[in-house]
Amino acid sequence: MKKKSIAFLASALVTLVLLAGCGGDENTIQFWTPLTGEDGAYMDQLVSDYNDTDPEFPVNHVITSDLYTQIYTVLQSGSGIPDLTLIHADRVPSFANNELLVPMDNILSQQPELNEDNFLEEAWTAGIIDGTQYTVPLDIHGSAMYYNIDLMEEYGVTHWLDDDIVTIDEMLELEGQLEEGQYVVNDALLSWVALGQLQNFGGDVEGPDGEPTINTPEMRQVIDSLRQINEAGLMTPFGEDGYLMFQSGNVLFSTDGTWSRLAHAQVESLNFGITNVYSHSADIFHNRSSAHLFSMLRNEDRTPEKEEGIGEFLEYIREHSIEWAEAGQIVASREVIEDPDYDQFMQSFYTKDERQEESLHIYTYEHYPYVVDAMDSFIADIVHGEMGIEEGLEEMQRFVEDRVDQGNQELEDAADAVEDFADDVD
Amino acid sequence: MNKKKYSQWFFVGPHIILFIAFILIPSIYGIYASFTNWNLMTAPNFVGLENYRTILFNQDSSFHREFFNGMKNTLIFVGVSVPLMVVIPLLIATSIEHKKVKYKNFFQSIVYIPGLISISAAALIWSLIFNSQLGVMNNLFGFDTVWTATQPYAWMTIFIMTVWGGIGGNMIIYRASISSVSQDLYESAEIDGAGAIRKFISITLPSIKFPLIYTVVMTTAGSFNVFGQPLMMTGGGPRESTSVLMMYIRDLAFGSGQSIAGMASAMAVLLGMVLLVISACQYYIMNRNSA
Repeated sequence: MKKKSIAFLASALVTLVLLAGCGGDENTIQFWTPLTGEDGAYMDQLVSDYNDTDPEFPVNHVITSDLYTQIYTVLQSGSGIPDLTLIHADRVPSFANNELLVPMDNILSQQPELNEDNFLEEAWTAGIIDGTQYTVPLDIHGSAMYYNIDLMEEYGVTHWLDDDIVTIDEMLELEGQLEEGQYVVNDALLSWVALGQLQNFGGDVEGPDGEPTINTPEMRQVIDSLRQINEAGLMTPFGEDGYLMFQSGNVLFSTDGTWSRLAHAQVESLNFGITNVYSHSADIFHNRSSAHLFSMLRNEDRTPEKEEGIGEFLEYIREHSIEWAEAGQIVASREVIEDPDYDQFMQSFYTKDERQEESLHIYTYEHYPYVVDAMDSFIADIVHGEMGIEEGLEEMQRFVEDRVDQGNQELEDAADAVEDFADDVD
Repeated sequence: MNKKKYSQWFFVGPHIILFIAFILIPSIYGIYASFTNWNLMTAPNFVGLENYRTILFNQDSSFHREFFNGMKNTLIFVGVSVPLMVVIPLLIATSIEHKKVKYKNFFQSIVYIPGLISISAAALIWSLIFNSQLGVMNNLFGFDTVWTATQPYAWMTIFIMTVWGGIGGNMIIYRASISSVSQDLYESAEIDGAGAIRKFISITLPSIKFPLIYTVVMTTAGSFNVFGQPLMMTGGGPRESTSVLMMYIRDLAFGSGQSIAGMASAMAVLLGMVLLVISACQYYIMNRNSA
């Protein structure tokens, strides 16, 4: 009898544990983000503040570091699809073209303040595919260039910052004048720097027919200019941790992300500021950017009422996302960036005037993620002379083309299948 | 009577269910996926042997280059790390089991504990040790090397980290096996005038043949699946010289762009076939020699 009771209790416990995993409040908005670390904590706080307003549809923030893999998994299974997701701008074209996203039309009509005028244009338009708005932006984040104020004063080059743009020619002025172990610029996030430079030289990663264009004269100019800095001994050596070298006070400029402000600020001895990523010209400059965008995956279980609840949450975020600036991101809501309190954040530099806003460039090419992969794989080798320029450009072009061809082949197969089916029906 | 008839299923049932759910079905689907063009978002399109043809024979394709570069680097890793992961723990286990050695468990713990640390944490530790600015190697020993960006040092950092974290498990197995070898054999050999090396070769090794086969096969299988160490230590560089096949497979299937899961699955199947053949050969050769 005793044994039976124990067995029954054990079974009941196991069943309870298993069923607990299947639960979920249907009035809760399941909100998935890839925001790990401090970013996740700031978003948790925003969500918590919203839930404290006692909304009809509270939000459950789920952080998943492998967001896109998780998305593919739930889309394949057809269950557990989140109500709201925060995705990167470069994912929008392929998600939209594969009909994975739901347009924001209903939400935009219910929340009139969620409109283009109330957000940074570059962030807002990143969510428009073929005239349809699929996303509402949270932020822009991307390349930034930090400078070591003390080191710039030591070398007498603070005037480089007068026009907010440091040119490559200015950097080359220090050739042969640096103390041993010191450098003008590091190679952190070099692929992003190169993609910003590509805009400066008038190039692009997408050709007129949607084909990838990496092996171009403009990209060659980009690499030539970066190599020029490296060959002058001004860039941190290949393989060295340039980010760390900047923090230890041995590099004038660090080209990393807007969010790095938090980490740099923790280095007590580092007296630093922020400016635009260097350019070959004082008149043209771009900071390669991305954006976190709210989006809704296609999900038949999402009710119109819940969609309305999502709209209310997005409107709350639009009004209150100054908290998000703490994470080092350029907040997309104009209401926030026009708030005087926002000026205390270093990244407000990038929205201080129209010229700065226009420098934030988000690539919206459908196959842009492949381009970044290729750049990440080869650009450091090419710039540091470990790989020839021609060879590197050809490899990058082939890398992207092969991946794009795979996707195109799949679309062609799908089209053939539809055609065959139509013929059979006829 | 019925209870006895079905009682075995109570014990093997859970394992079979888990095996079917998490190993068998995914493996079969993975093999099917290797014959398709699939982006994980839409239904897979059957393309027959096209992915295999591209990977193996299309020399103009980046997938061909990546596969052979990844396979070459994986084989380098396996070829160097497996012997180290077998020989070093075997020597340590033999040394610890020597009757004059005291504090056996203490030494065993020192060797075993690194294996309990996650690869990510271990990689952070070793990255700092080999960091050219802050690291012990350069600052204490006066080297001036960027370890993770220069060959052959990049490989060395990976091997050191792998051996440091990987020998503990094998060492425990060898020690348990050696301790069960009858002392009478060693005493008889000593009477016959056998030295330490002769005893090791003629008594210890033949006595632990099954644990040896097991560890060699399992270590080889684990080494073929190497991923974390090169990813965290060198990022696959310099010039992709430490990019192993699993890194390419992962990037293709779950990289930042639209997934190329069909091609990734084909590479994974080819890797699995190589692993299967090598493991079978190892098992056959070692089993035959020890029979």
